[in-house]
Amino acid sequence: MNQTINVDQLNSALTSLRTLRSSVSHVFETLSNGLRADHGEDGKDKFLSELQELLNNVNINVRDLEQTVNSLPIPTAPFNLGNTTFLSQDTTQDRQALYTQLVNSYKWTDKIHEYSSFAYTLLNQNSLKRSNINSATKRRGKMQSNHNVAPLQVDNVINNIGRSYNDMKITISRPFASNAVVQINLSHVLKAVVAFKGLLMEWVMVKGYGETLDLWTESRHNVFRKVTENAHAAMLHFYSPMIPELAVRSFMTWLHSYVNLFSDPCKRCGCHLHHTSMLPPAWRDFRSLEPFHDECKQ
Amino acid sequence: MGVTVLQQYPVPENKTGTYVIELLTKRLLALGATQQGQFLVDCESYLSHPQMGTTKTVHILHNSEQPASVFSILESGTKNIHVIADGLFDLLMMKLSQHYTSKKQTKIESKGPRFELGDFCVKIGSVTMNQSFKGVLVEVEYRPCVMANAVWGLLREFLQGLLGPTINIQPPQHLVSRMNEIYTPIDTIYQYLEHFSAYRKVTGLRSS
Repeated sequence: MNQTINVDQLNSALTSLRTLRSSVSHVFETLSNGLRADHGEDGKDKFLSELQELLNNVNINVRDLEQTVNSLPIPTAPFNLGNTTFLSQDTTQDRQALYTQLVNSYKWTDKIHEYSSFAYTLLNQNSLKRSNINSATKRRGKMQSNHNVAPLQVDNVINNIGRSYNDMKITISRPFASNAVVQINLSHVLKAVVAFKGLLMEWVMVKGYGETLDLWTESRHNVFRKVTENAHAAMLHFYSPMIPELAVRSFMTWLHSYVNLFSDPCKRCGCHLHHTSMLPPAWRDFRSLEPFHDECKQ
Repeated sequence: MGVTVLQQYPVPENKTGTYVIELLTKRLLALGATQQGQFLVDCESYLSHPQMGTTKTVHILHNSEQPASVFSILESGTKNIHVIADGLFDLLMMKLSQHYTSKKQTKIESKGPRFELGDFCVKIGSVTMNQSFKGVLVEVEYRPCVMANAVWGLLREFLQGLLGPTINIQPPQHLVSRMNEIYTPIDTIYQYLEHFSAYRKVTGLRSS
């Protein structure tokens, strides 16, 4: 409320300033024109009286302005423009016009916000609901972005998981800015690299013990290519943006079950190698973590 | 480098070595294997000169899988000492001919086709000593795994399937003590030496 009064006062002050300016420019205009034909014989006196009147006007306007300015409250602190202050520091000429655009787009989003809240209340009164608009609003309170988590928190979560396994070594590196790339050494069986975005897993690559590890090249062994494929399936299966910590922990538990990749036979057919693919059981059940061949898992 | 198991395949009475190799080749191709060239493992043994004290034997082996390396194993009583060197080691042995004399007649080699089947690498070698046929050795390597302990069950299943139920498959003597260690190329060489030494002792020769 206080702010609206301020804006009104500010507006009247600006108007009086404008009037003052126009009256002053009027004075100078008359002066520069000098004597005119319509001043007649005793033009000099007429001209002086006209000037006198104009100057009087200016005087009145100055008084007006003084009054309105005096009634304006003095701002207590300098205006805080947030990050937009840095816009003025941009050296390129054409970027300096960005401020107006910024203000315009701010007005736009403000309006959208206003209209959507109106629309929301209107739609809420309608009892015929075909969308799950209600459940979405209930969850909104808890909604938070898990793409943007402090690196320290990510480190804590992953290190906590790493500590609970003796034969699984987890090392964290950050080659690409703040997002973690986690290297997992599972006993002498396999190595894996997992790329994180915040706390969400984005990419997995599994390779053999002796191979060099990077994010993009596939293993030269068929069995690890199959395990990579299955790890992608597991990553999507465990994906839960609401409780990302649980997703990471479940995935690590699942990956850890590959410790017996070569030593345990398939639970269904009882053999190590499948007769067509010549692969060991490269699939692990999501719940029981039991080993199965890809072909036997149904 | 994966875990490798070397297994002797007995040549049945009144059959030749070529017959056995063809039989195994046929089985492998039926499983879907592709032939990827030939392989050769050879072994030459040298005896130290009596002037140097007790006679010692040095075995020099080459493996076509590691073409730039020369493997040498020195038998000194209870313990075997091995050295892996590059190709120049052969020339060094020639220089040492005064102290180490070659037993030419015992030069032995295993040679034959090399197959790839999924992650397996299978080599079927006919063993010859001085141009005389000695037997058939089947080498199976499972390349993704480096621990013999973990992969033995799987390799045994594969070998049993390839060689048939009549063959008794046991872990190689050399591997028994090294089940929990990381497998290296010298472990394959030790297995070949074990089998070569056994063939040298067998006197009954049969032509191929």
